[in-house]
Amino acid sequence: MDWTAIGLSVRLAALVSVLLLVIALPIAYWLTFKRRRWTFLAEAVVALPLVLPPTVLGFYVLLAIGSRSPIGRLWTAWTGHGLAFTFQALVIASLVYSLPFAVQPISAAFARIDSSLLEASAMLGASSWRTFVRITLPLAKEGILAAAVLSFAHTLGEFGVVLMVGGNLPGVTRTISIAIYDQVQAFEYQAANQTALLLLVFSFLVLAAVYALQRRPWSVSPL
Amino acid sequence: MSGATDVSETAEAGRTLTVTVRKRLSAAFTLDVSCSAPPGITIIFGESGSGKSTLLRTVAGLIEPDAGHIAIGERRLYNSAAAEHVPAGQRRIGYVFQHLALFPHMSVAANIEYGLAHLPADQRRARAQAVAESFRIAHVLSRLPAAISGGERQRVALARSLVTDPVVLLLDEPLTALDHATASRIIDDLRAWNAAHGIPILYVTHTHREAFALGDRLVFLDGGRVVATGTPHEILDSPASEPLARLAGFENLFDGVIVARRPDAGTMRCRLTGPGPGAGVEIEAPLAHGEPGDRVRLAIRAGDILVAVEQPRGLSARNILRGQLVSLTREGPTIHAVVDAGARFQVDLTPGARDDLRLGAGDHVWLIIKTHSFRIVSS
Amino acid sequence: MTYVRFAVLAVLVSAAVSSAAQLPAPALAVAAASDLQSVMPALASRFERETSGRVTLTFGSSGNFFSQIQNGAPFDLFFSADVDYPRRLEAAGLTEPGTLQPYAIGRLVLYASKASGLDLGRGLAVLTDARVRRIAIANPEHAPYGRAAVAALTHERLYDQVRARLVLGENVSQAAQFVQSGNAQAGLLALSLALAPALRASGTYVDVPAAFYPAIEQAAVVIRASSRKDAARQFLTFLGRPEIVQMLKDAGFLPPRPAAAAR
Repeated sequence: MDWTAIGLSVRLAALVSVLLLVIALPIAYWLTFKRRRWTFLAEAVVALPLVLPPTVLGFYVLLAIGSRSPIGRLWTAWTGHGLAFTFQALVIASLVYSLPFAVQPISAAFARIDSSLLEASAMLGASSWRTFVRITLPLAKEGILAAAVLSFAHTLGEFGVVLMVGGNLPGVTRTISIAIYDQVQAFEYQAANQTALLLLVFSFLVLAAVYALQRRPWSVSPL
Repeated sequence: MSGATDVSETAEAGRTLTVTVRKRLSAAFTLDVSCSAPPGITIIFGESGSGKSTLLRTVAGLIEPDAGHIAIGERRLYNSAAAEHVPAGQRRIGYVFQHLALFPHMSVAANIEYGLAHLPADQRRARAQAVAESFRIAHVLSRLPAAISGGERQRVALARSLVTDPVVLLLDEPLTALDHATASRIIDDLRAWNAAHGIPILYVTHTHREAFALGDRLVFLDGGRVVATGTPHEILDSPASEPLARLAGFENLFDGVIVARRPDAGTMRCRLTGPGPGAGVEIEAPLAHGEPGDRVRLAIRAGDILVAVEQPRGLSARNILRGQLVSLTREGPTIHAVVDAGARFQVDLTPGARDDLRLGAGDHVWLIIKTHSFRIVSS
Repeated sequence: MTYVRFAVLAVLVSAAVSSAAQLPAPALAVAAASDLQSVMPALASRFERETSGRVTLTFGSSGNFFSQIQNGAPFDLFFSADVDYPRRLEAAGLTEPGTLQPYAIGRLVLYASKASGLDLGRGLAVLTDARVRRIAIANPEHAPYGRAAVAALTHERLYDQVRARLVLGENVSQAAQFVQSGNAQAGLLALSLALAPALRASGTYVDVPAAFYPAIEQAAVVIRASSRKDAARQFLTFLGRPEIVQMLKDAGFLPPRPAAAAR
């Protein structure tokens, strides 16, 4: 059992879902409450990772952070080594790859809130921030939870992008899905089966726990 | 004028809400309103789509008008000429939404205290307690909105808006979902509060009953414009013009000619003219300006006409007309009858009356109409 | 503003956590061609025992590693399945001068699963048999064994006939896995993989005559950006030892041609 890969994957998924909540909340707020005529374009951009093949995403991420890019060069100047093929590169790639899984449930939850509640809050003297914290967020709880769970699960199962951007370095970028792939290629079917089963059971338990806590059926879904 | 009256007039002017706004909502609808509301309850009356809610929302600051100005006394809330627009939250205006908009995840107490965030906790609690008691909801303070009755929810919405001591209160059809008894009690609560506090209150409704029960003044909106202002009685009971009469629900409108005037009795005889066989029927109507031979328009409510199946005797009513029942149609709880008594009258009856009198099309009936049921309207 | 503060805090925490997630790395990072799958782990453990240093192995196709190293992948040593990729890296100035070292010559075999019932005595021609629905080879775009397989098939004028039935593995190891799992009835694989226990148990192989394809000269090179060049050089020297050469032979590799040292 490749505990290093498991630990790496769980750390990656946990980190990405926390960061995505921080990133997705303002994006979802802007998409729902501050709509302009061209907001639909932003929605399309956010949804791109849903339809793009992981290799296309991986390619562009590598291009953006590789040693020849401005970001890559900055990173090298700062840390002495490249950004690609590091754990940080996986985090960045996963943030892009799982973004719609965080933004969409939150955005949908925001949109379900009765606008007269927000207006009532405004009439009672609350600032936009106070309305957001005391009315919008609590009423969007389920959507936010869904966003966290889905980005966690989605990141855990990533393969193509991670392989391209991470380079399969043991202990650094060899996630659990890549470890399984390696084991299969080395004909270690027994080990691969064990690892895959562990991932399956773990994902199932996480999802089951989340659905058990929901009041409405199917309120946690990717779209 | 005594000095005291001047002061109170100035005081009242200082609290009066003045509104002049224009807002184009679509190619078909523009709100173009100018009105004012002194302390007290002003009814904003009109049908659905007449612009009542839009007007309320511009006063609240939830919609920005295209042009105009809104002020409370000297304090300007909106002035397009100077590009001033005070945000909704800073206007100190209370708003009771049509569906109440109580925060479902917070207790009644938290809902009421929401607008008092700038106060220390003990003061918040004390004021919330006081207003809850005056609206008789102190016993549900710890419950969630879903766990209380419709009438209690309505009172929570009122309490939440009023605890902040607003300078203007806006109510958007607040009583539509309630039964008669509950609505009446809330109307009493509101009137008691109004008597104690004296701020302008804009009350949007399309129900005659609420208008009469609450309103000191009434502003009648139609198609985004003000078509009349006055007291509820003036506008709804004695509409001055035909469009107003139609809007106020007068089903019968007739052309007529003045035959004779009786100034000492305060009445006049008119002959109803218009299409139909025979010489027009003569009726007695309230005295109005005009000479015999002048044309008039007369309006009467279908609900103000009585029907008899035998010739009545010994009645005080001055108009007893013989006619024939043309048709009977049922619409909800009302029977609409059309009777040809020299002119076609629309008459409203209850199903019980129809059954008891065994009315059917073709029957000969008598219509009984009091003089003052007729209204003279100008076109 | 509170939100911005919260966001900055979250980012700092995650940066801290993520840098902690990098293991301290005195380990020698080796990128190895997939055909070394069966023998490299043993060599690496031996090296680790002798030098009490650590070695991490990553297997894949040589072409893939080539582009990753171009993009700055932090490998210390690159064991390619050909000599061309290391030469191109050297030309691009990405390798440590003078470290390019051929380490083995690979051999191509025709492998068929037992279940297919094919008679490999017929040589490559057996691939035209109707029972052969799918033939696994490594992707010729970036795998040297794939290129060799295509060359052999072309030499025997079979390529156009069997082309439609080829399934391409990401690397020669994945091609082997296709056959081993029964998804392909036969494959053109590395001898080193055909000798692995799993494949030996489930099928048979026959050499593809060396004349059918250009020699698979396999070379290794130290990456210039490496911070463990001494350890890397040590590993290369270690490979030259007689007992290691024997281990490679047993694993299905021929010793490198001395005269073919790349210059």
